[in-house]
Amino acid sequence: MRGFTISDVLTMLAAVQWTATLVVLALAFGAPLALLLARMCTGRSRLARLLATGILQLVQGVPVLGLLMFFYFGMPVFLGIKVPALVSVGAAFTIFTAAFLGEIWRGGIQAVHVAQGEAAACLGLTRWQTFRHVIAPQAFRIALPATVGFLVQLIKNTSLASVVGFVELARAGQLASAATFQPLLSYACVAAIYFALCFPLTLWSRSLEDKLNGAR
Amino acid sequence: MALVEIRNVHKSFGEVEVLRGIDLAVEKGEIVTIIGRSGSGKSTLLRCINGLEQINGGEILVAGERVHSRSTDLRKLREHVGIVFQQFNLFPHMTVARNITLAPVLTGRVAKGDAARELALKVLAQVGLEEKIDAYPGQLSGGQQQRVAIARCLAMSPYLMLFDEVTSALDPELVGEVLKVMEDLATQGMTMILVTHEMNFARNVASKLVFMHAGMVHEEGRPADLFANPATPELANFISSVR
Repeated sequence: MRGFTISDVLTMLAAVQWTATLVVLALAFGAPLALLLARMCTGRSRLARLLATGILQLVQGVPVLGLLMFFYFGMPVFLGIKVPALVSVGAAFTIFTAAFLGEIWRGGIQAVHVAQGEAAACLGLTRWQTFRHVIAPQAFRIALPATVGFLVQLIKNTSLASVVGFVELARAGQLASAATFQPLLSYACVAAIYFALCFPLTLWSRSLEDKLNGAR
Repeated sequence: MALVEIRNVHKSFGEVEVLRGIDLAVEKGEIVTIIGRSGSGKSTLLRCINGLEQINGGEILVAGERVHSRSTDLRKLREHVGIVFQQFNLFPHMTVARNITLAPVLTGRVAKGDAARELALKVLAQVGLEEKIDAYPGQLSGGQQQRVAIARCLAMSPYLMLFDEVTSALDPELVGEVLKVMEDLATQGMTMILVTHEMNFARNVASKLVFMHAGMVHEEGRPADLFANPATPELANFISSVR
């Protein structure tokens, strides 16, 4: 046994990079999927609408922990391949992000008045041009506060990756706690770091909301 | 052949049949106003002409093309058929200039940059709003927004313009400026179909008046004749109720 020192804090701070890696991966792959799902949900094809809505509902009804377990233990079983923890954990958070951002953006797109799309179509714009220039910019503005809010959720939820042994911030805290027998101090430290990451985003989300409401 | 030919058009929303066999022809250069009580199907008819609404029977031809045929490129057709809405429907996140030039640039009629700005200035001059070129729609009055919406249509140099109760959402003191712009367009020979409650415009500017009642064309003819001698009690009642 050893005491809790500054080096434990530094180890935790170093582990933040893996938390950040998960967030970046989840956004990089999840956001395009989310956009696709949001477009499918609001599109003209009934089949695409049903499919996308089904996916959103299914994933939203499953806890992130369940997704993690499924990809971590399930991928080797179902696909017969052993993948690195980063891949399976990253896949789980990608799906999580796709579903929740997809739902937020669907709401944003539907909040733009139908007449805006009609007006664009009546000027001879294609459906893609209408989405790209008329619908998307307005939907993005509407959905931005909720999107930033989701980012906070995502950062905190990556702590669940610790249950499959992925060493990110929460897991680093567990290790420090086990090595020093100072759980309170270790986890307080972890909590403080999460707070330091999330609080500025929360503030930003709030200010975006105020700006949006003020603009109306 | 007329520019717009509407032949026996039927249209239902669910169980309710709102258009029950409409026949109407609009020649090039005509100013046609459609009047009638709310719920008589005026706006629906207008929205059918540029394919915003599907129809359940009959056909509509614009410049010889069947609007509701599967083989018709509706997008292409709409480049030439402008529509102005009751609620303006300007794009709130774009300046007036960009509202006007978005479609001409994207459809390849004008190059981005100086040429586009020149086009915006030209059509804004037609509605008397050059000084608002860099404003956002939210900074304009209702009447100004509607004039910009008209300018946005003009920028596509349409051969037909549809007006769907364009003054109905305006404060009374702002109606005049919009009507003035429309009168100017009329004297320049634009083919226009209007749904309106502005009886003075219908009487003095229009070349043809169409009275719709219960999903049908109840009466049509020269405005002066119809206003002076309505043939049916429905039109007589309508005229006296709006006077």
